[in-house]
Formats: sequence, structure tokens, C-alpha cells
Amino acid sequence: MSGWLDGNFVSVIDGVAFGLLLFTIAVGLSLVFGMMDVLNLAHGTLYLAGAYVAYALSDGTLTGLLLALLAGALVGTMGGAALTFLTQPLARRGHLDQAVLTLGITFIVADLLSAAFGADVLPTDPPEVLRGTVGLLGHAYPVYRLVFIAVAAGLALLVYLVFERSSLGALVRATVADRDMVRALGVDIRKVLYGVFASGAALAAVGGVLGAPILGPGPGVDETVLVLSLVVVVVGGLGSVRGALAGALLIGQVQTLGVALLPEYAPFLLFGTMLLVLVVRPHGLVASAVRA
Amino acid sequence: MAGRFRPVGLVAASTALLLTTACGGASLGTGEDDQSGPLKIGLLVPQSGTYKSLGDDMKQGFELYVAQHGGKLGGREVEIVVADEGETADSGKAAAEKLVKQDRVLAVSGVVSSATINGVKDLFETGKVPLVGSNASPTTLTGTKYIWRTSYVNDEPGKALGKHVAERAGGPVFLIAAGYQAGKDEVEGFKSTFLPAGGKQAAEEVYTPFPGTKNFQPYLAQIEKSGAKAVFCFYAGGAAVDFVKQYRDFGLAGKIPLYAPGFLTEGGVLKGQGDAANGILTALNYSADLDNSANKQFAPAYTAAHGTAPTTYAMASWDAAQVLDKAIKAAGSTGSTVSSASVNAAIAQVGDIDSPRGTWRFNSGGTPVQPWYLREVKQGANTVSSELGRLGG
Repeated sequence: MSGWLDGNFVSVIDGVAFGLLLFTIAVGLSLVFGMMDVLNLAHGTLYLAGAYVAYALSDGTLTGLLLALLAGALVGTMGGAALTFLTQPLARRGHLDQAVLTLGITFIVADLLSAAFGADVLPTDPPEVLRGTVGLLGHAYPVYRLVFIAVAAGLALLVYLVFERSSLGALVRATVADRDMVRALGVDIRKVLYGVFASGAALAAVGGVLGAPILGPGPGVDETVLVLSLVVVVVGGLGSVRGALAGALLIGQVQTLGVALLPEYAPFLLFGTMLLVLVVRPHGLVASAVRA
Repeated sequence: MAGRFRPVGLVAASTALLLTTACGGASLGTGEDDQSGPLKIGLLVPQSGTYKSLGDDMKQGFELYVAQHGGKLGGREVEIVVADEGETADSGKAAAEKLVKQDRVLAVSGVVSSATINGVKDLFETGKVPLVGSNASPTTLTGTKYIWRTSYVNDEPGKALGKHVAERAGGPVFLIAAGYQAGKDEVEGFKSTFLPAGGKQAAEEVYTPFPGTKNFQPYLAQIEKSGAKAVFCFYAGGAAVDFVKQYRDFGLAGKIPLYAPGFLTEGGVLKGQGDAANGILTALNYSADLDNSANKQFAPAYTAAHGTAPTTYAMASWDAAQVLDKAIKAAGSTGSTVSSASVNAAIAQVGDIDSPRGTWRFNSGGTPVQPWYLREVKQGANTVSSELGRLGG
């Protein structure tokens, strides 16, 4: 057993890092779709925008990274607000219209980003103090990814507390459960909608800033991220923070440990997992408390 | 409200939306030269999508040659008609049909993707319009009369490197590549010279899912566990950046030498890799620091115009323009009308090309017989360290 663990230890750790990155990105997609009923296929573009912010502001210092985080959160919030505004009129017309609109937005924004930053994958290195490797049971592991695990775990906890343990979260869930009742209580429903969308979008963009040294900015990254997020949302279950976390951590392990153990099945592992989860639990690993 | 949540349907619909198709309508007609006005030359390169930066390199290389020759090829004014190859065989085919049937160009250059060149093969063969391709060249593309390549056949970088790695590695070598046709071609090419020279594999070769592999950690862990003394890999584009950076991030750079076909560190990807690329050894038919007279005409002018060193893609396109230059001149000097057919016949007779890569000529398959070089990345630039011999004969 120790031999097995020794050989795959780094993959397990890296699966956690990758899973937490996926969580940071996918939780916004899950909340916006699951709670607000808006299908946002521009979600990957928010990640990409954050990654470009990281590229533009990273100067090898921690201050640069912190600035990039602030700027990324701002860009994400504004992007989320703009997307809420644009998808509002389509609220009654169903998911297909939302999908077409938001996908159109991704194409336009991707072309604009490509025009601004070029078509190449851009170098985004972590701050100098976080470069290099540390030994983990005799294996080299990048310092930055360890720090990333800590930061992303903190973010995950924060999102969980806000959405599932605070009164603000209770308001959001109440809005989802019965809009008319909440409206009758004098709450502006649109503010709730904007708030959830903007914070989900901000998380995706912050994921882009933090994830840039792992999944660097470049054409096509938005699609990769969007597909992975959709898989996480489907596997985890819509509209729940715990579901997004469970789905993301599972997919993270599938993408690292699964690939390390079953390399010949690597191309099928991701969607095979999704299929398996759907067969066993059609609503995902964690069914939304509100929707179930 | 019931049944609103159908994740499978959602993903299927989203995937369908992500797949875009292009359809091409074009008027019929054949290329005729009316001897008045400029000759039309088509450039079929990606202007959008994943391969745009490659397309830019190729366009810039071709245009540089034309500009250096007063806007003329073979002494005739030319008009360059650019069409967007896009990302897929469908978009490439639609653009090629527009060039051939609607714009009625004399000849075409460009083509980034192997899928595109396979898809347009019949169009050029039956339309009898020469395609002087400057990048895509799959091993399966054979027996053509109108399709030429100034680049190299896909398996040649691997072939060029095999014997050298077998002699230098000092132990078993790990083979890893992107899991699509070009990756398999390269690995087969490498093994075809590596194994006969006494090289040993550290493990069965690994093909990583393409596209989509972004995190190479599990594969890097396998490499570390295998006890390999060297690694041969094939990656291009974004995957090349990810693989090289993670090879450094997980502590393998400097410990296990990394060998690859040249595009691992060619062009825009090298910038993306930054310091992580230092020390990587690649085989390619060109390096911007080659010391010969044609390269003195090419490399400094390219760098001055675009602020970066030229890539093999730009060089092969510069050469494609040179091939057309010579062929149009030869076709025109026979007194007959310059036509697609006469230019194609002249390409077959074009002989030695004095190129920035060194002298080369077309073989009977329409691809170059040319020198290959071993290059090492030093301080962010590819530098030639030795010759690996000639291939393509």
C-alpha cells in the first residue's frame, strides 16, 4: 500500500489542486444555472478574461498577484452584471435562447481578447517567491500549486458559508424557492439575481487569475474550461455549493489519479465518469437542497 | 417547470452549439490568365481560431518575399488573395473552393492543417491548380501531381532525431505525444530510426488525449517513475506551452533531457514557455540563426518587419513564394500563356532552391530533400548545435 501511495501521492495532491481550480470556476456556473435558471455558456470566457488580467498585471511580485486578484474580481463582477442584463429579456424564452446568446457573446469576446493579446498562449508565471518546487515524500511538487490549494480551499469555505450558512444565502434560496413570496416581503428580486450572477462570475475570473500559471491564457482555454465546468456541474448536481465541490474534486482526481492509473483509458475517463454518475444519480452527486 | 433539469440534454445541446459548420458555395469556372492585370495568387491560411498565429507567420513570410521582389513573382505583378482556412477541414475546404472557383487564382500557397490538405486534395488535383503548401504534410498525402510542400513530411523530425537520441541518451527513453495523427506519425518516425540504432524505450509510448489535456502531472509522474534517461515528446501550440512549463514546474527540466520535433519550441509557443524552454533539444529543418546567404536576406528583414525571429513556418512560406517566382518566370519565358498548368509543370522543373535553411530540391513526391538540424533553446532562442543529415530523398 505504501508503494502504491508513494507512486501516486503527487497525483492525488495534484488532483486536489486541479479539483479546487475546477470548483472555483464551476461553482458560479452551477449557482447561476441551478438557482437563477440562467444558462451561461460565456462562463469559460470569464475565466479567460481573468487569466489575461493575471498575464497583464503579473510582474513577479506578490503585490502584482494581489492587484491582479482585485482587478480580476472587478472584471468578473462587471462581466457578470453585463451578462445578467443581457440574459434578462430571455428569461421566459428558455435555455436554448440563453445558450445561443451567451455562446455568441463568447465568440465575440474571444475574438476581441485574441485581437488585444494575440493568438499565442501567453507566459504567466507565479510570483517569484512562489516558484520552484518542494519535496513531498521525496517527490518534487510546485510551491505555487500548494499555495493555490490553500487559497482555493479558503475560497471554497467562504462560498459555502455565504451561500449555505448565512442569512444572505437563505435569502437567495428563498428567492429560488418562491419568488413571489420574497417579492411580497419587499425584497428586490433583481438585486438577488444580479448579486448571485456577479459573484459567480467574479469567482470564475478570480479562478482565471489564480489558475493562469496552471491553465494559461490563450485561444481555446475558454472552451476547455467551459466543457470541464459543465461536466463538474452535471456530476456534482445543479445549484449547490457542496455539489460543485464534490463534482470538482471527483473530476480533479479522475483527471490526475485516474489518468495515472489507467492511461490507456484516459480519453474516456472524463465522460465515462459523467455517464456513470448520471446512471447512478441522475441529479448529480448532491441534489440541490432547494430543487430536490 | 417539471423536467427542466436535463443535464444530458443540456450538455448535448451545448456541444452541438460548439460545433460550427461552414458551407461553401462557389461559382464554377476555371483559372485563365488574361495577361492583363496582376496574377492572382491565393493564400489559404488561418485568420481566426487556434492556428491563427501559424497563419500569421506563413502570411508574413510569403508577403515578405513578394515585397522584397517589388510586388512581383516571375517578373509579373501579383495580387495576393487571402482566404481564411479556419480551424476545420470544412472551413478550409470552403475557403479553398472560393480561391479556386470564384477568385480563379493561378496558384495557392499556405494550408496549416493536415485535415485541410487532405480535404482539398481532390479540388486541386482535378482543378489542375498548383498548391504550393508551406506547412501541412501528412504521411498519407502521396501520389499527387498538383500538390507540393516546401515544409517536410510529418514523420521527418522524428526520423531526423532517432539515431542521435539513441546514441546520446545513455539509457531508456520515454516517448510521449499528443494523441492524434500527427503525434502518431512523429512517434513512428522517431522509432523508425531510434530502435534500429539500438535505442530502448523506458515504457510503451503514451498518447495524451488531444485536444483537452491541460494538466500533464500524471504523465510526468509516469516519466519520473519509469527511470528514463531522456524523453522524446511531440506537442504543438498551447499543449507545447503547458507541457514544457509543467515539465519544469514538476522538477524534471535539467534532470531528464527533453527532445522533440522543432515545433515544441517554435514561434509563439517559445515566448509562452519563457525560461522553462531553456535546454530543450529539438530537430527541425530551420533555425533563425543559420549562417547562409539566403538567410541573411530573409531573417534580418523578417525580424525588422515583425519584431520576432522568423519561424520555420514563415521560412517555408518565403520559399513557397520563391518556388512560384521561379516557376512563373520559367512558364512565362516559354512564350506560352502563364496558366495554372504551365506553372505546375514549371514547378516540377524548378531544381535547387537556395533557401534560408540551406539548399534543397523537390523529390518525386513533391516534398523537399533537405538538411536537418539539432537545435537547443538558449536564453529564449533556438540555436543550431549540429547537423543531423539530409532527409527526404
